[in-house]
Amino acid sequence: MVEAISAKASRLISPRGAMLVALGLIALIAGAIGLTSFATGYVIYIVNLVMVAIVLALGLHIVIGECGQFSLAHAAFYGIGIYTAGLVTNLLGAPFWLSLLAGGLVAGLIGFFIGFLSLRMRDIYLALSTFAFGEAMQWLFLNWTPVTGGPNGLNIKPATLFGFQFLTDRAAFPLVLSVTLVILALVAVLHVSTLGRSLRAVRESEIAAASVGINVTRMKLTAFTLSAFVAGLAGGLYTTFSTFIHPDSLGFQTTIIILTTVVVGGMGSLIGAVGGAMVFGLLSELLRQVPSYQEMIYGGILILFMMYAPRGMFSFVGRR
Amino acid sequence: MSFDVALLFIQQGVASGLVTGSVYALLAVAIVIIYRTTDVANFAGGEFYMAAAYLAFFMIAMMALPFWLAVIATIVVMCIGAGLFQRIVLAQVALARGVAINLVIATLGLSYLVKGIVRSTGFGDTPRTFPSVVPDGSFTIGDASVSYLDVTILGAAVLVMALFFWVFNFTKTGRAMRAVGMNRRAAQLVGINLGRVEMMVWCFASAISGIAAILIAPKLLMTAEMGSVVTMAFAAAIVGGFTSLPGAVIGGFIIGITENMVGLFVSSRAINVAPFVIIMLVLIFKPQGLFGGALKVRKV
Repeated sequence: MVEAISAKASRLISPRGAMLVALGLIALIAGAIGLTSFATGYVIYIVNLVMVAIVLALGLHIVIGECGQFSLAHAAFYGIGIYTAGLVTNLLGAPFWLSLLAGGLVAGLIGFFIGFLSLRMRDIYLALSTFAFGEAMQWLFLNWTPVTGGPNGLNIKPATLFGFQFLTDRAAFPLVLSVTLVILALVAVLHVSTLGRSLRAVRESEIAAASVGINVTRMKLTAFTLSAFVAGLAGGLYTTFSTFIHPDSLGFQTTIIILTTVVVGGMGSLIGAVGGAMVFGLLSELLRQVPSYQEMIYGGILILFMMYAPRGMFSFVGRR
Repeated sequence: MSFDVALLFIQQGVASGLVTGSVYALLAVAIVIIYRTTDVANFAGGEFYMAAAYLAFFMIAMMALPFWLAVIATIVVMCIGAGLFQRIVLAQVALARGVAINLVIATLGLSYLVKGIVRSTGFGDTPRTFPSVVPDGSFTIGDASVSYLDVTILGAAVLVMALFFWVFNFTKTGRAMRAVGMNRRAAQLVGINLGRVEMMVWCFASAISGIAAILIAPKLLMTAEMGSVVTMAFAAAIVGGFTSLPGAVIGGFIIGITENMVGLFVSSRAINVAPFVIIMLVLIFKPQGLFGGALKVRKV
């Protein structure tokens, strides 16, 4: 399995491509070192947020980009990840990796359940059931006061690792960066693996996929579960540098932001999802003070991209 | 809970449920005709409703127009706006890459855009009350108390639905809409102007949403978030089968009554989860809804 994947990867990435990737990684690490020594805490906070946005986009990418299934519940899975990870940290004092995984696993489990319920639905029915699930979860976050703190929000203790507490954004930054890179690598592996290919086959045509022996039902369920798992990881990642969560930030508008990210990047493009997340992670932080403009801009972008660039911004630079 | 109280709750729940249900039914009809004819699930339906309420409020309270003039003007503006959206945006989206997901995303974009526009005018930030033209007061049917406004809402909603059913079933325009819903290519072959019919459907749907908004607005506080009621309308449409107009109407009343019953017997805070539970239950056990007929397999 592993050899097969690495063989495929080596065929996909030419020596020149490998060099570029290596150069990119070196530049990234150099940039990271520079960032932690020069930038202010707020800038590092935003960079951390952008990385959470990248992981979130990767999560939605799996279900919508790879498998072609609609999900409007990603803010909910993200929220489940945040609350689970936060509570595990708060109550058990668990190290960050444990709470991170707990967030991912609980979200993945619920994603599996919702995916299972939604198996017979497609297109709009799937959109509607996930939309309703998202609304219901936000209601739960807001009203399950003993657990989530309800409208008062939930304070989250700083993340710990080997007894070291990540008290500041600066301290958490290397952690967030490495977790993001690991998840990115895993999703890239998924993309080139047989599983990824099967998912894309389902996206292109369920009937054709079934006719070559792909278990369509299992693929959809896998995509849904993995996607929710990654969204939960994004939630866990958020708790490593942020100490407070409020249900207001987990509503439908978050789903729209994630959706815009993936749509603008180009549904189905991994690089697009990452690029889109960088742009919109930054943009939503800049527009935080003016919610009405944020709504207009995101709405307008969604419409314009669907009209003139349905394959996303990277279609202009000649992807495929 | 004693039997008498339960009986009172049931009567009151049905009475109030019929009123709110009639509004859900109108919104569900708007969603269903769009889905039936143009294959688009309109996620901006709630924002049509919200925008219409604000438009009417602006004309009545700010420009001091007479009520009837404001209502007509609102409906006309809604018609034009939705028609333009269909003609300019959706036609282009379908042309660029006519996948169902893309069309849905475009309506999601519209819903967000409209919400942002209403909020940026400064109107949507403070909750407002819509002036009522019906005198206050109420009477009782059985043990349930019903206000004059409630009766007006229910009556007007039923009237609008009857009118629409007549248009849909007995006029040439309605026949064209039904034909497009059944088979687009065949409809085109017999000389139906597809673009015009699709635009008309969006006009009709937004007019119906606008009427629903004006009817219910005096009963509730207006906010920019009031469009979230679309979840209820979707639930109603799904209960009815998503392609059936009578189904949408009955679904609307079922959702309205259920909502009120949940509010009275369980907790008013549980109302928000009720549509989710209903949508899930219907989709799991009877995916074709109550009136959807056999599931249609779409040919590739």
